[in-house]
Amino acid sequence: MKEDRLGKILTVGGAILTAVFCLAPIGVMVLTALAGRPDFLRPEVPLAWTVDHLRAVLTSEAIHFPEYLRNSLLVSAASAVVAVFLASLAAYALTRMSLPGRGALLLLILAVSMFPPVSLVGYLYRIMASIGWINTYPALILPYVAWTLPLSVWILVSYFTRIPRDLDRAGLIDGCSRLQILLKIIFPTAAPGIFATLLLAFIFAFNEFLFALMLTTDYSARTVPVGIALFQGLHGQTPWGEIMAAACLTILPVVLLALFFQRRIVQGLTRGAVKE
Amino acid sequence: MFLSAAGCDEACSDRVVFAVGGAPSELEAWEELAADFTRETGIRVEILRRPADTDQQRQSLILALNAGLSHPDVFLMDVVWVSLFAESGWLEPLDGFDPGPFFQSVIETVDLHEGKLVALPVYMDGGVLYYRRDLLDRFGLRPPETWAELLKSSLRVQNVLREKNPDFYGFVWQGAQYEGLITNFLEFAGSEGGFLLRDGRILLDLPANRRALEYMRDLIRKYRVSPPSTYTEMREEQARLYFQQGDALYERNWPYAWSLHQSPGSPVRGKTGIRALPSPAGEEAVSTLGGWHIGVSRFSNVKPQAMAFVRYVTSSQGQKKMVLRLGWNPGRQDLYFDPEILAALPYLAELKDVFRQARPRPMVPYYPQISNIAQRQINSALAGHIDAGEALIRAEREIAALLIRYGKPARTEPGE
Amino acid sequence: MKKTSFHIDRETRAGIGFLAPLLLCLIGLILVPVAGTIATSVFRDVPYLPKTFIGAANYVSLLNDPAFWRSLMFTLLFVLVSVPLETVFGLGIALVLNQVFAGRGMLRAAVLIPWAVPAAVSGRIFELIYNYSYGAANRMLALLHMEPANWLGSASGAFLGVVAADAWKTTPFAAIILLAGLSAIPEDLYRQARVDRAGTFQRFFRITLPLLRPVLIVTLLFRTVDALRVFDILYVLTGGGPGGATTSLSLFGYRYFSAGDFGYASAATVILFGIAFLLSLVYLKLGGFSREIR
Repeated sequence: MKEDRLGKILTVGGAILTAVFCLAPIGVMVLTALAGRPDFLRPEVPLAWTVDHLRAVLTSEAIHFPEYLRNSLLVSAASAVVAVFLASLAAYALTRMSLPGRGALLLLILAVSMFPPVSLVGYLYRIMASIGWINTYPALILPYVAWTLPLSVWILVSYFTRIPRDLDRAGLIDGCSRLQILLKIIFPTAAPGIFATLLLAFIFAFNEFLFALMLTTDYSARTVPVGIALFQGLHGQTPWGEIMAAACLTILPVVLLALFFQRRIVQGLTRGAVKE
Repeated sequence: MFLSAAGCDEACSDRVVFAVGGAPSELEAWEELAADFTRETGIRVEILRRPADTDQQRQSLILALNAGLSHPDVFLMDVVWVSLFAESGWLEPLDGFDPGPFFQSVIETVDLHEGKLVALPVYMDGGVLYYRRDLLDRFGLRPPETWAELLKSSLRVQNVLREKNPDFYGFVWQGAQYEGLITNFLEFAGSEGGFLLRDGRILLDLPANRRALEYMRDLIRKYRVSPPSTYTEMREEQARLYFQQGDALYERNWPYAWSLHQSPGSPVRGKTGIRALPSPAGEEAVSTLGGWHIGVSRFSNVKPQAMAFVRYVTSSQGQKKMVLRLGWNPGRQDLYFDPEILAALPYLAELKDVFRQARPRPMVPYYPQISNIAQRQINSALAGHIDAGEALIRAEREIAALLIRYGKPARTEPGE
Repeated sequence: MKKTSFHIDRETRAGIGFLAPLLLCLIGLILVPVAGTIATSVFRDVPYLPKTFIGAANYVSLLNDPAFWRSLMFTLLFVLVSVPLETVFGLGIALVLNQVFAGRGMLRAAVLIPWAVPAAVSGRIFELIYNYSYGAANRMLALLHMEPANWLGSASGAFLGVVAADAWKTTPFAAIILLAGLSAIPEDLYRQARVDRAGTFQRFFRITLPLLRPVLIVTLLFRTVDALRVFDILYVLTGGGPGGATTSLSLFGYRYFSAGDFGYASAATVILFGIAFLLSLVYLKLGGFSREIR
């Protein structure tokens, strides 16, 4: 049928366009990281491959890239674990216990997640400065926990709602406390959901920029997005090869997570946003 | 012994953290100087490398000092930040230092705060003109005395060279939206222009400023003597590399570029000349007072060691090392008579007066905000969004509103 | 009777115990700082002058500050252009991904990559792509025998450049959410429509769009809120230039915070906060969230 042919063409064309759109900038990044010169796209420039940029980024002490990456991984992991634990407590209470004002609370959580970060970062800086936490891990972990909580609560509420309440009742009859029920019964049952939420919280914290820019001052706590944004390199000219090498190494963890756990992440994201 | 128990762990207890930014070669030189210092005194110094971008350097210093962080202990300040840092109470007075050997006018304008010395000039900067001697010779031209001459010769040379090299431009300078744009603008404006402080107001819409801004815009947009990326990308390093690749006839930059242009492997090595900047016709050339001053944080836990480091950096010996290595113009006047330095940097004798007479920018703590406004409007004019006069009128109006907000009339510039 | 009420009380107390950490975090780390920002906005708060109460003077200055108006206009225009663009593109990608074809799984994975990349990194990638002398954008123009363009050099060019870079990073998010909405539409409806000889476009406008409405609103809500606070990509890609043409309200506020002028910065970000708050109220009403939460 003519209609179906048109549909096929649209699908295939759309798929190709989508793939090019999503992957071309990544291609530019990888090629620049590996090319000897950043102007390798010019026809008159010979193409020479090199791993010098990667090596420089990983080994040069003055660039501090490994420190940035370590900071990012530690801060994001810590804030994801704390946020998801706190969110699961809250989600449990919101789905399992009779609480007044439950709907209002969920709305409040949603509203909080829509605040522009810049309208709290200034005061947060003041608070952190007064307790001497500027440029330390806690100065980032605490705001990241707060920042990823709303999303985590929404996703977990949607997962927890689907777990039959009979499980809880059985636990209560066995004399378990609510906390024991959450840890021993709900956590294992909702493990895929918890894992998806952890992944998302990690990625959100890993990608955060403004707090890290304002609450850290040097490599002892600064995270990798800020490191890359301020990257100057050692050799004068904007060192595109090294910047892109650093970019490759930076996105490696998040991209691997995204690819390996594609289904979970998509599920988590849509659970947070779409009521099925 | 010198520590308060709180805050700092062992690792940083006996270590001076020194925040400095700049071109890669400068950072290397600092590392070496710090190593020499450690060898002589046993005090360890950690160099905290900052981006070359001065705005980013300022932001990270302000964020650290405003939070009362104990490090960095020592830092370099652009001349225009000293007032803000001093009035905020972030600078430890440099008691027991003798400012005698330094440029008197600079110490008085910049480094004295309420009668106390709070900073010292490490090096002086004034804009200079680099030119390609070989190309001027080939076309039978002389280095330009006025901005008009510069334009004329640029056009002549670039029209010929572009046939072979489409990327060749007559003149590169700093036009991106940042502090460097202001220093360039002040130099184009000459002695009749600049920020005029009068009756607690700051005037910008002056005939000389208009002419300068129109000239700057025309260099890019009308005569195409400066590359189109001038007002988006051109900062010190971009301009230096452009010239150093052999793609420009003239370059406005600070003296630091000299030794880099003359370094082995540089395509313009031995073909580069340096001289004072051109001036508007019939005027003295004007150079903006630039340069970097060193200070000690009031929040430092290792003040005695930090002071020792400052003393070393500003000593005759320390300054000489940096001058010979980087082609800097030392903050100490005595070194301008040093035969070894003059042999290596013959142009210094000539530039000394440039620095002595260099014009300061307004020394007020909110200068960064004034500059932000001026940068934005001037950059808009270069981008062709608004007319030059309109840009200056708008900047002047915005600055007036700013002064009201800070409730303080602008202090009159010393020597004005 | 008595027993039940005691039971509820204990239950509620336990529930509050479970919610306490969440509430503490949200109050201490988000609500208090926002309140603090609002309080700071009525002070002159700079490091070199004593802190002084000045009432609405910061707001008055803002309203008289052309740079503020410019960044407000930029922010709104950015939302108005980028959100619909990203939603329409996202819907296109979602429609493609909703079809059955070889390699669909791989394409789905590819779509996730831009979403996972930090905006600061994508900003640098696009900065390189737009580079005048050797960026990929100008190389492509060269292949077409066109003059190289100074992409970020003009206000409109920088605007489009930023929108494109932002779209690369955020369209996939829209696509993922919309795809979930699409796959929830029962296949039966389409089958029925086919029997009724409705064409591809008719099916799209009669079935897909109406049923997708709630999900579309959610997508628009998330994207609008995000676009309103745009910061990372601008800080990295244009730094707010040329001539302040791409300075969003977030960037405007950050500039003053990092210059130490907390009062003025706070006032600017309070205005941004107000706009974000009002807009999300409108969306929440449109999306009927309060009805959905039973």
